[in-house]
Amino acid sequence: MRAVVPGREISSKRNKLKMLEIKNLHVKIAEDNAEILNGIDLTIPKGEVHAIMGPNGSGKSTLAYVLAGKEDYEITEGSIHWNGEDITEMDPDERAAAGVFLAFQYPIEIPGVATMTFLRTAMNAIRRVRDEDELSTPDFMRIVKEKAKELGIADDKLKRPLNVGFSGGEKKRQEILQMSLLEPSLCVLDETDSGLDIDALKIVADGVNRLRGEDRAMLVITHYQRLLNYIVPDQVHVLSHGKIVRSGGKELALELEESGYAEFGEAAA
Amino acid sequence: MASEVLKTKAEQELAQQFEAGMPNLPGSDVAWTKAMRDAAWQTYAAVGLPHRRVEEWKYTDLRSLLKDAYPPAPALGEALTTQDVDTALGQGAALDSYRVVVVNGHYREELSNLDGLDGQVVVQSLSDALTTPSDWLQATLGQVAPQPDDVVVALNAALMTGGVIVTVAKGAQVEKPVHLVHVAAVKDPAGLATRNVVHVGEGAALTLIESYNDHSALAVQRNAVTELIADDRAEVHHIKFQNENAESTHLSTWMTRLGANVTYRAFQFSAGASVARNQVFVRFAGEGSSSHVSGAVLGRNRQHNDTTMVIDHAVPECESREFFKLVLDDEARGIVQCKVNVHRDAQKSDGHQIAHGLLLSEAAEFDSKPELEIFADDVVCGHGSTSGQVDEDLLFYLRARGIPEPEARALLIEAFVGEALEKIEREDVRNIFSATTSAWLGGKGA
Ligand SMILES: Nc1ncnc2c1ncn2[C@@H]1O[C@H](COP(=O)(O)OP(=O)(O)O)[C@@H](O)[C@H]1O
Ligand SMILES: [Mg+2]
Repeated sequence: MRAVVPGREISSKRNKLKMLEIKNLHVKIAEDNAEILNGIDLTIPKGEVHAIMGPNGSGKSTLAYVLAGKEDYEITEGSIHWNGEDITEMDPDERAAAGVFLAFQYPIEIPGVATMTFLRTAMNAIRRVRDEDELSTPDFMRIVKEKAKELGIADDKLKRPLNVGFSGGEKKRQEILQMSLLEPSLCVLDETDSGLDIDALKIVADGVNRLRGEDRAMLVITHYQRLLNYIVPDQVHVLSHGKIVRSGGKELALELEESGYAEFGEAAA
Repeated sequence: MASEVLKTKAEQELAQQFEAGMPNLPGSDVAWTKAMRDAAWQTYAAVGLPHRRVEEWKYTDLRSLLKDAYPPAPALGEALTTQDVDTALGQGAALDSYRVVVVNGHYREELSNLDGLDGQVVVQSLSDALTTPSDWLQATLGQVAPQPDDVVVALNAALMTGGVIVTVAKGAQVEKPVHLVHVAAVKDPAGLATRNVVHVGEGAALTLIESYNDHSALAVQRNAVTELIADDRAEVHHIKFQNENAESTHLSTWMTRLGANVTYRAFQFSAGASVARNQVFVRFAGEGSSSHVSGAVLGRNRQHNDTTMVIDHAVPECESREFFKLVLDDEARGIVQCKVNVHRDAQKSDGHQIAHGLLLSEAAEFDSKPELEIFADDVVCGHGSTSGQVDEDLLFYLRARGIPEPEARALLIEAFVGEALEKIEREDVRNIFSATTSAWLGGKGA
């Protein structure tokens, strides 16, 4: 098992086939005129982990939602290609079936939907699209329990309605559980670290690192550098006012940690 | 006469039917029964069918909704088999219960199954009882929680052909539910008035299920009344499954009287009929009792479903809860009105009512009307109601996990209904309603 993978090692040359390619992306709120993203260019090759950092309100979650297909946002210009295919017209569930996964910054509570029912419905929906058989009940139970245990999720949490009454940290673990069960090829993690104490952060980071691999691209959104000690990125991008204003290696995160986001549009705390 | 002219077609038909049919109704040659029917008819005839200017009926204008009054269903109905009853029951057939089958108001022992009850529960035909009314019946019928002004109840008293009397012995702990399976078996559209009288003895525990089903897809105008007495310390789970075809009219009234320290848990599941009016009257007659009335309503097309409750806190220290969930699609209309009366001496009454409507289309409508009439000063009463659509954020979350929209939507609707179904203690009953909800969502109806 690899807890921390130095980024440069996995992005070997032969894997430079482009997977996520965002070009000149402009986004506004569907019923509003203000632009939130104004001209994003970002390419994440297969096997790489890129981090996006930026002040609050810079458009990080918007980018994540747009990748997942949330309908509140309108793309006014530009494109998003995933494995060479333009996904901007695809429904959220089609994107999920195509391998896109968003770990929400604020995972939603769904009263009345049992966690297990939800997990099973989602796994089977995705398996159907991949032409795989539905999981048998014992197989499903075994896989879920195994992954839940790795993430320190207690069995009784799986019996409850999804996320209802869970703490912030428990909700984030559920996101990573879903991610490891659905085995997406593009993982977008939106501030998965916020609200986690250091132990939980390590567990979650381990969960993410287990999924790192040659066939997977990851976009890790965070406000703080701390997470990137555990999930070491290949590239770091700084988002400010809906634009990527700087890109660099993992050391850029450390630099930001020292200087803060003041120069990128957020007043120092 | 001028008033004759003002009668609607349905009212005229009802009058003809009463006049012509009265001699054939059970007990019509028995003085007490005949007098009871005549008095009830007078109550009805004085005002006619309820309409929107009658406050309790403002959402359900029967005078305009009932275009015709169909002739009474034939007394014996068709020769049904147990298989027919199962078919009529649909999902409900799977329930392991003591079955009491009533076809067109007539108790059918040969289709019923009370094996193992050992006299803890006694079932009698009400048609028979009306022809030889016991002192108990004379002191009970219509008097459990009387609704002297309710015209639908009056019509039922005038026209009822039967139903059953269920008596549960003092202290009896009845494990399996007693299921009153009412089946309409008609060859033409018909009217059908039935009544059940249930007496649960002191300290007894009973789950009573009433289901209203039909053998054919012909329109039935049903007027069903249940009077239920729960003696001190009884525990009664009272459930209704309304499963009639979309041409039918379902008028149902529960009149319940609770003694002291009674636990009463009622649930109504309504998915059928074109017009349904579900009336629930609960009267607290002894202190320390608790009544929870809950329900789920599924409506589509132009279905109209009105649940009207009156909870009467006549004595101190009782608790009442109402909790309803309605899913309304197309042009369906759902109504929940609940009036809680707290009498002057009923201190420490505790009442709370909640109704949630989930609208699946722009044209669907949900109306909620809570009413509190409080004459005591030391009480806790409250109400809440919401109406809304499927939450887009929840939908997006599910879809982002690969669940296609129709499936995600169904999951959320089932979850919404599920919160009402949770009020049902028995898992076997809950499962039947869950399955019915899933089938409904799949478009297969109830
Ligand atoms: N659904 C929305 N409706 C209105 N404004 C929005 C919506 N989503 C984002 N915004 C606005 O867009 C900007 C970027 O927000 P967001 O993407 O959440 O930033 P971040 O995740 O970087 O904190 C903010 O000014 C925010 O108020
Ligand atoms: Mg954000």
